[in-house]
Amino acid sequence: MKKAYGILALAALLCGAFVLPGGALATEYREEMNIAITANPPSLEPHSVNSNIVGAIGSHIYEPLFAMNARHEPTAVLAESYDVSADGKVYTIKLRRGVKFHNGQEMKAADVTASMVHWLGASGKAKALLGDTVFTADGDYTVTMTMPEAYGDALSVLAAPVQFAAVYPRALAEEAAAGKGLSACVGTGPYRLKEWKQDQYVLLERYDGYRQPAVESSGFAGRKGALTERLCFRVVVDPATRVAGLQTGQFDVVEDFPADRYAELAGDTTLKLRAKTSGTLNMFLNTTKGIMANRKMRQAILAAMNCSDVMLASYGEPDLYILDPGWCNPDDALWGSDAGREYYNQNNPEKAKKLLAEAGYENEKIVLVTTADYAEMYNATLAVHDQLRKAGINAEVQSYDFATFMERRSDPDKFSLFITSNGYNMTPVQLAVLMKNWAGLDVPEVPGGIAAIRRAASPEEASKAWAELQRFLYEYGAAIVFGHYSDVFGESARTEGVDLQRFALYWNARVTK
Amino acid sequence: MLSYVCRRIWALIPTLFVVSAAVFLVVYLIPGGPATALLGLEAEPSAVAALNAELGFDRPFLTQYADWLVRALRGDWGQSFFLRMPVLSALREYFGPTLSLAVLAQCVALLIALPLGIAAAYRHGTFFDAATVSASLLGTAMPGFLLSFFLMLFFGLSLRWLPVAGYAPLSRGLAEHLRYLLLPALSLGMVQAAYITRMSRSALLDVLHSGYIRTARAKGLSETAVLLVYGLKNAAPTVLTVAGQSFGSLLTGTIVTETIFGIPGLGMLTMGAISRRDVFVIQGVALFVALIYVLVNLAVDLLCAFVDPRIQLGRR
Repeated sequence: MKKAYGILALAALLCGAFVLPGGALATEYREEMNIAITANPPSLEPHSVNSNIVGAIGSHIYEPLFAMNARHEPTAVLAESYDVSADGKVYTIKLRRGVKFHNGQEMKAADVTASMVHWLGASGKAKALLGDTVFTADGDYTVTMTMPEAYGDALSVLAAPVQFAAVYPRALAEEAAAGKGLSACVGTGPYRLKEWKQDQYVLLERYDGYRQPAVESSGFAGRKGALTERLCFRVVVDPATRVAGLQTGQFDVVEDFPADRYAELAGDTTLKLRAKTSGTLNMFLNTTKGIMANRKMRQAILAAMNCSDVMLASYGEPDLYILDPGWCNPDDALWGSDAGREYYNQNNPEKAKKLLAEAGYENEKIVLVTTADYAEMYNATLAVHDQLRKAGINAEVQSYDFATFMERRSDPDKFSLFITSNGYNMTPVQLAVLMKNWAGLDVPEVPGGIAAIRRAASPEEASKAWAELQRFLYEYGAAIVFGHYSDVFGESARTEGVDLQRFALYWNARVTK
Repeated sequence: MLSYVCRRIWALIPTLFVVSAAVFLVVYLIPGGPATALLGLEAEPSAVAALNAELGFDRPFLTQYADWLVRALRGDWGQSFFLRMPVLSALREYFGPTLSLAVLAQCVALLIALPLGIAAAYRHGTFFDAATVSASLLGTAMPGFLLSFFLMLFFGLSLRWLPVAGYAPLSRGLAEHLRYLLLPALSLGMVQAAYITRMSRSALLDVLHSGYIRTARAKGLSETAVLLVYGLKNAAPTVLTVAGQSFGSLLTGTIVTETIFGIPGLGMLTMGAISRRDVFVIQGVALFVALIYVLVNLAVDLLCAFVDPRIQLGRR
């Protein structure tokens, strides 16, 4: 009996050792989180590189004045508050005090203005949307943003998550603006760069001097706990290896989880697979050269499209996409629109043949340029090729490596149509389809539509102007949305707090031992 | 011997020159430049063109090549746009993992191939011989990536003995270094083993059917002595040549395996450089690979001459 009491006492003692004073079981967390990424980032300078990987890693190192919260609203990050002049052209932005860069220097207005000058020069979209904007420092903690016109979306452009308006120390920003590149990765974010081993990993470590904003965490804004000491972004090019590494516990998170493994592993209780609607799969048509300049020809192509089949060919799993004609997130109350629905997913080869005859089509070759470097784009191109052939179009697929594909798609002499997947933008005026240099679309309706959106007196009016522009894109046969895809993130069941926005955010994430 | 070595090294110069010109021309002719990869999917063509001009890639081919050649002769092989380091430093850094991997893979290959090849030749015509030949044919035909995935599934996923991806440098300890290299080395080594087994079996078979072996047996020498002293010694030049070729290909042709297992070696550097159009790195890798091939061949020739003095290098 005494022995039994002894065992019970020992058990109670052992249990006590694992129980916190508050009564909850103590959970131990790992100091490092391993995140498998698909490629080595081309740089860690978010101003100039239009890449999710750069934005995703960079968001942990650098911060902008404003960033979008979980409801896609521009929210102050390095800004404390702002005032807008009566004519809407001048924003007076008060900066948070006591924010320190990773080099220990305090962030001041001169750093912000130098960074914004570099951003406006380096980011194509910033240049296009705010290029004529002037930033001036008024003392150490106030920045004035003066625009030639009252752009209603100015804060949204400043808060865009890719090619974002990061704030660097003045000396680095000026050096970068002078064309010398960013010589060091110094920001104000919750993590700082510890080591970047090319083609192997990017290792971030918690920045102990990080000053938390006073508001709750939401999207890219608010509190950033830096709960894990080190974040290691490991470059694992092969998708099967990424999945195996997640299953064996070598990686805690796998970005760009292969869609074709989703159904197989969705029921695995040791993993968490999360799909998040992230962007659109689009086809862009050549509107300027040869037979494709004929609007009826382009409408014939739209008539032949079976978007459902294209999305299935691209993503393989119906849970991973939705069919919707809008160029923006359908859940976005302001920009989600189905204008032009009558031209979407027509799946009507007979109508296509009729339109081809009206266009005077005489079996000219239609060139579909693509790249096998992006599986979804390549698979979609093959599906479209099949549908065009069924409609009686002499279609030919030309597949290139990514760099060659990019060159071909930018030259209207070298393509009839091409397909890309594009992540969501903060505002529709940032869409690639509206850029003249993207697929050559050069008609007055586009800049007119953009101006109508940006100068709209109210959000409702801006929303209406966008719906009209979207309808025009379909009517003109400039481009088509096949559907909205979901990015799949694979996590170990032991991870907590990974926040999926445009990409995954890890500052409030941790992983149990 | 010395003059032979000097001549072989001297012959490197035109080889490297031709390789450099050919690679530069090919890279020049294919569309897309490093700016496209640097600036991303939605980069504006005007920004791409501006960056290409800034990097000097809008100049005529001969100007670009002459410029590179002059600098290369001075020991400056250019700068990587992505790695932000000189090409020679990149080659030094990325060659280390490849060398480790190749040496380990070659050990795996030889440990499997030599005993199998010798035993198969010795037991010529038996079931064991047939099984070895079949297995080596299967190994030669099997794509390396398939074997890599089988090994990864078995040792990584099922048994959880070895990591499925990544690399630990030697500075983290030999055991950790080998732990990360073992799976890719097995994958490469088993494919090479198949080839070396087949060739060493054939070489030994030729020797075992020769007159002096018959004489040795007639003199009453033991089978072990016949096999090891006469047989192996005379088959050694062929085996060395095959092993040398195998080592050369391991040093320069591990792109797929390195990509699958995430080994930051020459293969990964090559893949990355081509996709990013990192021109000077492509150029540097091509020259380095040519250099390795010639030097490995030279080393094999010298070793063969050392093992078999009948081979008189460079003597007419």
